[in-house]
Amino acid sequence: MALPIGEIELEVVGREITGRPVPGRPRRPYSPYLRGLPALLLASLLLVPILVTTATAVRTPDGLGLGNFTVLGTEQARHAILNSVAWIGVALALVGFGFCVALVGQRVPALWPLLHPVLILPFAVSALVSGAAFRIIFDPAPERGTVSALLGDSPVWLGPGWFWVVLISAFIWTWLGYVTSLFRAGLDAIPDDLVRTVKAEGLRGWRRLLAVELPILRPISGIVTLTLVVAAARVFDLVLITVPGPMQDDASVLALYWWRTSNAMPEPGPSAALALVLFAIVACVALCGMRGLRRSWAMPASTIPQPARSTASPAHRRLGWTMGVLLGLSWLFPTLILVMTAFHTPRAAALHGWWAPAGLGIESFTAASTAGLWQALLSTLVIAGLATVLVRVVAVPMAYLLAWGGLAEWFGKVVVTVLVVLAVTPLPMYAEPLRDLFDLLGLTGSRISLALVHAAAGLPFAVLLLRAAFASAPPSLIAETLRGEVRDSAVLTQVRQTYRPALIAVMVLEFVLVWNDFIVGLLISGPGSTPLSLVLWGEARQFATSAGTVAAAAVVMSVVPVALLLRFWPTVVRGLTVGTKP
Amino acid sequence: MPSRRAFLAAAALTAATSGCAGPADALLGVGPVVRVAVSWSAAELEAFRAVLDSLDVGYRVDLIPLGDEIATAFGSRTAHRPDVVMLPRPGLVRTHLRELDPLPDDLLPQPWPYAEVWRPMLCHAGRWYGLPFKSAHKSTVWYRRSVFDDHGLPPPQGWREWLALNRTLSERGVTPLALPGADGWMLTDFFENVLLGYAPDAYDRLTGPGPVSLSDEPAVSQALGLLGQMWASTGSADGVQRALVQQFSDAVVEVFGYQRAAMVVAPDFAEPLVRDFARGDFEIFTFPTVDEAPATPGHRSGPLRLLIGGDVAVVRAGSIPEARDLVIRLTDPQAALPWIRDYHGFLAPNKDTPYRDYTPEARKLAGQLSANGPALRFDLSDQLGPLGEGLGTVLQGFLAQVGGRGDRADLTVPVEWARRRLAELERRLGEFRG
Repeated sequence: MALPIGEIELEVVGREITGRPVPGRPRRPYSPYLRGLPALLLASLLLVPILVTTATAVRTPDGLGLGNFTVLGTEQARHAILNSVAWIGVALALVGFGFCVALVGQRVPALWPLLHPVLILPFAVSALVSGAAFRIIFDPAPERGTVSALLGDSPVWLGPGWFWVVLISAFIWTWLGYVTSLFRAGLDAIPDDLVRTVKAEGLRGWRRLLAVELPILRPISGIVTLTLVVAAARVFDLVLITVPGPMQDDASVLALYWWRTSNAMPEPGPSAALALVLFAIVACVALCGMRGLRRSWAMPASTIPQPARSTASPAHRRLGWTMGVLLGLSWLFPTLILVMTAFHTPRAAALHGWWAPAGLGIESFTAASTAGLWQALLSTLVIAGLATVLVRVVAVPMAYLLAWGGLAEWFGKVVVTVLVVLAVTPLPMYAEPLRDLFDLLGLTGSRISLALVHAAAGLPFAVLLLRAAFASAPPSLIAETLRGEVRDSAVLTQVRQTYRPALIAVMVLEFVLVWNDFIVGLLISGPGSTPLSLVLWGEARQFATSAGTVAAAAVVMSVVPVALLLRFWPTVVRGLTVGTKP
Repeated sequence: MPSRRAFLAAAALTAATSGCAGPADALLGVGPVVRVAVSWSAAELEAFRAVLDSLDVGYRVDLIPLGDEIATAFGSRTAHRPDVVMLPRPGLVRTHLRELDPLPDDLLPQPWPYAEVWRPMLCHAGRWYGLPFKSAHKSTVWYRRSVFDDHGLPPPQGWREWLALNRTLSERGVTPLALPGADGWMLTDFFENVLLGYAPDAYDRLTGPGPVSLSDEPAVSQALGLLGQMWASTGSADGVQRALVQQFSDAVVEVFGYQRAAMVVAPDFAEPLVRDFARGDFEIFTFPTVDEAPATPGHRSGPLRLLIGGDVAVVRAGSIPEARDLVIRLTDPQAALPWIRDYHGFLAPNKDTPYRDYTPEARKLAGQLSANGPALRFDLSDQLGPLGEGLGTVLQGFLAQVGGRGDRADLTVPVEWARRRLAELERRLGEFRG
């Protein structure tokens, strides 16, 4: 449309409206930072204690110095460090193994819907539960222990050296599903045209793997490796429940040694030094892993699900089926044993294996219930619920601020780095100062303190994940939001496809992690809040005679997280892989 | 807008947490409550709950079951901050006096109902820092009566008789002893019984005031030799590997459930477990007196001596007044009756607790404890602090070396190995202290 005004002719053209027509607001420069305030407050529950622990570690009676680090010179400390490093090796090997399983899974798409939940199930149960299951399987008495009964003249499985087999099996059982699932999601997201091109080029086998799949999956490998390394560095409760007393020193890991030192020594210095070493190891790995993540996590994600496809030959498919079925059966086995043991009376469970027809009954559940199972269940529900709500409420605005709040670029980078480090910080770094703080506030033993710690510990990961989801919003929309022309909710609507799965992933994972927690409860909790896993551990003290009770408690304890995780797992995977797709 | 929602949720949370009373408090775990740390689990925990229920106190009591890590409930930098600790190691009281509240004299039970042996453990500078709730008779051997009957063997009276009995059983294809090697405290109890019977003077010296050294005490090495002889006589080398992963309860199941061994050395509180698995086929004898002549002069092997332990109730400094009230209520002679009557495996330290509800075995053991007041000794490992805990680990190593060698084997090397390990431990602990 042209408007002639005097000698000048103005032309007016229409422009597409990109946002919703809503009244604008004056821009307040301080308001975006307010969004980060709750997160800052919650995160200071980690930040301040970390600084305190660091200060404790380098403070000696004669001023600053490294005197506390002499604790590393003891034989036990060296042994614990070596074991922790070995665990990280196990974690890396498991990443490789999980990738292979994902490849096999891709070859047999028909089997996957059955195999997938079976593999994921152990991820939903706590380390205590898996430790208990494997201790039952590998019990050295041939009357009770499945493996001892099958192999006849077998070694003493929980004895010196052999306990490693039990520990590592339990670890693999727990984590394989997670690794495989994420890799599988990554493999499925490889665009079809790329696959066709590669096929036309004649790339096959290893060469194709090296040229196509591995580079494309780099961001996912980054996340998977990071998670597993952190999990390996946090191995603690697994050793406590699985390994019998005399071998626990052999199986000692840094976290465990830290705990024993902090209990045994009157001064806090040496244990703080140990915590710092553990922190340094994990932080190094995390920062290396992050280099790959940072770039790709800010990329918009494609969330179009790719149809399942199989290009494998019949021979390959048969092999895949065989392997898949074997894997599925062996992954179901520990669960089966746990359930069967739970349905024997405590006496029968102490005398015979899970397969014995005698002594079936629900007495073990009764025993678990008199051990305070129901109260603990309620307690755990409250803690996990509170922590999940808190994380959700605090992390969302923070993630938004980080993605589109208009922070200076360098500042944003610093915040992300801090968050990555916080996300992997091991509990020993902040447990003791926090404990003292709660004691001062008179909150020891309250569920609030536990929920707060859990929320603080879960916050960094939640913010990172949600930030990646927000990052998928179109830049023009964000610019208008920043100018105040469009409401923030318009952005949320726009990014719903990536934001919702990420939010669900954050909430489900936080809930399951808190539900299954043992170590935070042990180090920070008091009695009234005695959560489930502490009850389980208490019952497991004399393992053989309470195997039935322990199994019953484990079954009851696992129902909620298993149901939750299986129900939401596809969404969780989508949420976890936000922004990691090519 | 997310931030507004955040604010509302935070406000709701604050409202929920700042409320003073009502169900929200119970839900969030705030409000006046006595927190009691215990080492008990399973049936024992249930029994203690029954005791608390019967006391009918007017406040909430929460239990923290800490199992073998009970020492972590205690000490200045602990997570658990309980108000009351039911301490299974009375020896720890002495080392933590500063963190404990002594009990007010006017609340102490009158007339005094406890054996004199508790005084040095619990009374310091004239103040009582804890009161005994449960005693443990640790010089008990549980055995299958049918095995002894079948082979026409009477329970042994002395050490040599016991060794001979083990030999006879082994020759007839019966494993004499089940050893719970996975529980260090079971091994130290065994060792302490031997040391106490063999060299009571040395035992008193080691538990007395002043610095002590296990590795420098000849009686310790000699007792290790005797102990090694006993352990070597039982089972095969493979059996020893098994023994190392065998806990207290596994050993009981091994004897009375699987019937693979004839005896187990276990305290009185093994009774419910034994009863459950033995189905009537069980009996007890007292740990035989060690009638070996000591090699060094000055030792005397005297009359019967009994190793005891127990759980004492202590109140942490700064606890709420209800904590003290609970401890006083627990010392009532009737307090433990539900445990004694319905759960078994409980010996009351209080002389006024009626005997009528004890099982025959418990009555025998309780009678033995009250009749032999001056002969009672607390376990050594508890009174040695970290060195005592290390002793358990050393004995586990020692068991691994001697087990299955046969009772005539030369044990000089393993004994010397254990002595060296103890010396090393003492040196290291000395360094830490310095």
